[in-house]
Amino acid sequence: MLPRRIYQFLIIFLLGIAVLFAVKYLFGLSDYVIPSPADLRDTLAAVYKHYGADVASTLSVAIIGQVVSIFLALMVGILGRQTTWFGSFIKVAAYNVQAYPIVAIAPIIFILFGDGFFSRLLIAAMICYFPILLSVLGIMSEPVKEIEHFYRVTGRMRWQLEVKIRAFENLNKLTTVISGSATLAMAGTIVAEFIAANAGIGYSIRIALYQSDLSKILVALFLIGITLAVYQGLLEAAGRMIGKGVTVTR
Amino acid sequence: MKKIWTGFLFVILLTAAQFLPAGLLAAEGGKEQLTYRLKWLFNVSVMGDLYAGEMGFFEGANLDVTVKEGGPERDAIRELELGYADFGVASADQVIRALSKGSPVVVLAQLFQVNPLQWIYRPDRVEITQVKDLKAKTVGVTFGGNDETIMRTLLASQGLSEGDVRIYSVRYDYTPFYRRKADLWPVYVNSQGPIISWKLKRAGERVAFFDPSAHGVKFVANSVVTSVRMVREHPDTVKRFMQALLQGWEAAFKPENSKAALEVLSKYDRDTPRPILEKQLAMTRKLVKPADSVDIGTFDREAWQQTERIMLEQQQIKAPVGVDKVLIQF
Repeated sequence: MLPRRIYQFLIIFLLGIAVLFAVKYLFGLSDYVIPSPADLRDTLAAVYKHYGADVASTLSVAIIGQVVSIFLALMVGILGRQTTWFGSFIKVAAYNVQAYPIVAIAPIIFILFGDGFFSRLLIAAMICYFPILLSVLGIMSEPVKEIEHFYRVTGRMRWQLEVKIRAFENLNKLTTVISGSATLAMAGTIVAEFIAANAGIGYSIRIALYQSDLSKILVALFLIGITLAVYQGLLEAAGRMIGKGVTVTR
Repeated sequence: MKKIWTGFLFVILLTAAQFLPAGLLAAEGGKEQLTYRLKWLFNVSVMGDLYAGEMGFFEGANLDVTVKEGGPERDAIRELELGYADFGVASADQVIRALSKGSPVVVLAQLFQVNPLQWIYRPDRVEITQVKDLKAKTVGVTFGGNDETIMRTLLASQGLSEGDVRIYSVRYDYTPFYRRKADLWPVYVNSQGPIISWKLKRAGERVAFFDPSAHGVKFVANSVVTSVRMVREHPDTVKRFMQALLQGWEAAFKPENSKAALEVLSKYDRDTPRPILEKQLAMTRKLVKPADSVDIGTFDREAWQQTERIMLEQQQIKAPVGVDKVLIQF
C-alpha cells in the first residue's frame, strides 16, 4: 500500500510538471514564468536539504496538530452526540469557530501565543479538526440498535459503553477519516507557517513567493507531496493493523 | 437538436473569448482596450494610475484601460508574458529577476523616485541618525522581501554583520512593533506610515522613519513595465498609454488638484479616513516628485544599476543582466 501511494503521487506530480512544461514550450514562455527542467534540477540540488528539514519540521507540527484535533473532535463529538441543550450548544460552538476564516483569527492567536510553535499547532489543529468532528458526530449520533438495545433493556448501558460500541462498529470509517485528516493537518500547518511562523515549509514557500521563484515552490510541493504520501500510507497501514487486532479480539 | 448545438457553439465561443490576449478586443467607439495590472491593492501608491483612469486621461488618448488591482499573489511581468495584461507595475527587483530568467520585459517609467519602503521607530526609545546606530537594535525584516535585501546592503555598507543587530522576522501585522518587541519595523512610509503614526500618536507616542536612500542605498521601487513585443508591434499604443498615464500622475500631484485627487482616492480606498488620506497624498508626492524640476516617471539610472549590483552581490541573480538596456523612456 505504501509503495503504491508513493508511485501514485509520483505519477500525479510528474503529470502536473509535464503539463507545465508543455505550456511553457508551446507558448514560448520564459524561465521566469515557468522554470526550465535544468532550472528545476539545479534548484532541487540547491535546496533539498534545507527544504527537507523544513518539511520534517512542518510534518512534526502537523502530526501533533492532528493528534490534538482527533482528541478535540472525539471530545466534542462525544459531548455533542447527545440531543440535550448542552450537546446542541457544543455543536453550535464548534460550527461557529469553524465558520471564521483562519486569517481573521490568526492575529488574535499571535497576540495571545506569539508566532512560535504553539500558534502553528493551534492553527493546524483548527483547520484539521472540523472534518474529523463531522465524522465523529455522525458516527456517535447513530445508535447501533441491535447491540445497544440489549444493554439498554438490561439497564447496563453507560455513556462509555455507548461510545465504545459506536466507535468499534465504525472503526473502518474512523480510520479512513483519521488518515484523510493527515492532509488537512499538513495543509493547516503550512497555512499557519505561511501566515506568520518563522519556520517550516510554509514559511519557505512564502519567501519563494516574495522572490517570484516558481522552481522553489515546485520543489517544496514535491517534498510536501512525497512526505504526505508516506505518512498517509503509514497511517493506513496502522489502521489496518488496528482493524485486524479488533477482529481477532472479537 | 440544432438549437442545442447552436447554444453549445455560443458557449464555446464565449469561453474562447475569455482567453483572447488582452488588448486584442476593440472596445465601443473604436477605443483600444488595454489591461493594466498594478503591483498592489488600490491605495495612495497607485494614485496617478487611478487619477488617469477616473479623470479621462486614458479616454483622451483613445484608450479604454482596465486598471486591475495587484496583490501578493499577482505578478504583472508574468501576466504580460501570458497575455493577461498589456502593461503592469513591478518593482525593480522583480524586473531584474525576470530579466535574469529571460523574460522579455521592458521598463517604461520609474514611478517612485524614492523607495517608500522605510523603517518606523520610536525616537524616544532609540536614536537612529546613521546606519551604525542600528547596532544591537532589534530590526524587523521580511525574509525574502525587498527590506531584507536593503537592510543587508545597509549593514554591509558600514561593515556591520547580521550578528551586530537582532533580526526579527516580520509577518503581516504590526503587533510586535506595537508591543515593543522590535525597535524598527519595515513600512511603506506613504501608505502605512501615516496610519501607524496616527495610531501611536493617539497612544501618546512619537514616531520617526529611517530612510535607506538617505544613507546611500537606492533600491528602485514601482515602475511601469510592458513586453518587448508590445513595444515592437504597437509603439503608438505604448506612447499614447504612457503619455496619458504620466499626465495623470502629474495632474494627481498638482497642489491645485488635491481635492479632486482625494475624491478619486477615497472612492477606491474607502476604509482609510480622509485626514489620513491627505497625509498619505502629501507623503507620496515627496516620493514620486521630490522636486518640481523632476518629471514623474524619470529613470534614476544610477539607482537601477545599484539595485542590480546589490542583487548580484547578494546572489539573487547569477549574472549581470544589464538592466540599463531595458529602460525605455517614451
